[in-house]
Amino acid sequence: MQASRARLLKEYKEVQREKVADPDIQLVCDDSNIFKWTALVKGPSETPFEGGVFQLAFSVPEQYPLQPPQVRFLTKIFHPNVHFKTGEICLDILKNAWSPAWTLQSVCRAIIALMAHPEPDSPLNCDSGNLLRSGDVRGYQSMARMYTRLAASPKKG
Amino acid sequence: MASGSINVSIPSIPRDFGKKKRANRSAKLKQCKLDARREQWLSQGAVKNKGCKEELMGPRVSPQQIHEEERKNALENLQMRRRGVGEDGNGDGDENGSIHHDFDLDSPLNSPTGSSVLGGNESGTNFTASSSSSTTSGSSVGGSITEEDGEENDNCLDDWEAMADALAANDDDNKLENHFDENNSCLELQSSLEYEPAVQLDCNLPNLGFKNENLTQEGKVPPRVTPGNSRAWRPDDALRPQSLPNLPKQRSFKNIDRHYGQGVLPWGCASGVNVPTSCPICTEDLDLTDTSFLPCSCGFQVCLFCHKKMLELDGRCPNCRELYKNDPVKVETSVRRGSLTLRLARSCSMRS
Repeated sequence: MQASRARLLKEYKEVQREKVADPDIQLVCDDSNIFKWTALVKGPSETPFEGGVFQLAFSVPEQYPLQPPQVRFLTKIFHPNVHFKTGEICLDILKNAWSPAWTLQSVCRAIIALMAHPEPDSPLNCDSGNLLRSGDVRGYQSMARMYTRLAASPKKG
Repeated sequence: MASGSINVSIPSIPRDFGKKKRANRSAKLKQCKLDARREQWLSQGAVKNKGCKEELMGPRVSPQQIHEEERKNALENLQMRRRGVGEDGNGDGDENGSIHHDFDLDSPLNSPTGSSVLGGNESGTNFTASSSSSTTSGSSVGGSITEEDGEENDNCLDDWEAMADALAANDDDNKLENHFDENNSCLELQSSLEYEPAVQLDCNLPNLGFKNENLTQEGKVPPRVTPGNSRAWRPDDALRPQSLPNLPKQRSFKNIDRHYGQGVLPWGCASGVNVPTSCPICTEDLDLTDTSFLPCSCGFQVCLFCHKKMLELDGRCPNCRELYKNDPVKVETSVRRGSLTLRLARSCSMRS
């Protein structure tokens, strides 16, 4: 309990210090609860998610960092490894491949990498996965781009 | 180069003698004995170089004058002895010319086999100019040694005798094997000398540097340089070129020490970046036990508590995911030194 809190405080300081270092990630801690975090990540360039800003919700367990944080997309995203309705993310480092050496910041980086390199063989979004598995990259991209425009792009006006 | 080294070597001798003279007045029996020997030698030498003796006996001459005149004398002597090698027993070390003064001092008296050396001298005259210059530079080192020794009379007197003995012993040997023999004899000499360690160090270090210069300047004839610097290459005389790299090593050690003493702060801070001061898992400060505890070969350090938790969890290193070994590596001395710097870094970070 205390260990996780201390660790999160350290990560918070780290984030404040390196805010400028990684402009694609904005990691903010909940005002009242250090175990709740939200992150804003920019969609990686040259992907259908380019230009979108995606919100992530972190729920940090008390056993953190021995246990991984629970992360899900708050923003709708069309991605084979993200559940379309719940925003649950299928990512090994958030499950069995978690290591206490990871941080919330590094988890955000891993999610950005996952957006750029989807794994259609372990899909949470079957429609998206099937498109990629059938080789319809163009179909996948257009769908993903459409949802990025709809859900993740800053509203005009 | 030869003249330069002579320049360095010669002025030390008359000054040294003057110092000796003054010191001898209040000297012990031993000193008197040596003084007598020196007088004897000087009277012998006076036959050859009167000018030198005049300077020594005369009142005060400015160092520069001594410098120049002595140098002239030395050169004359060199030529003279080249021509008439082995005129008397004094000529034993004389491939070097008169520059070998300080070593020659007692040798004619001590060495009964002075005549046997004459053959060696003739071979000495056959040396090329470069070789003779190298030997002069070697002897100049000897001069500088005696000069330093002159500051401590008792030691130095012992040294002189010891040196003379060693040289006399050396003279018995064949000159062709000269450098090896001289090395050996100087080995004996060094062991027989009762230097205080500090003095020895002081003598050796500048000599080392000097020899290094000699070597670089006269790279053609490295073995010739050996005799003079026998003190420096003591560990392995015969393999002098191999021992040469040891020299910068020693120096670098010294520098490191100095660095460590003076410039701890920047260094410690720099290393503090790499060495974690706190456990990356639980962010608790690593104590001495933790910092000297390397659970994984990848170098990822965690505190002992977290390590235990890792073992309970999956037994893998959080950094490289390798399975933890059953007996974690205890940190070697080098890493322990790292922990030392770590503590320094911590302290200096607290200071700032």
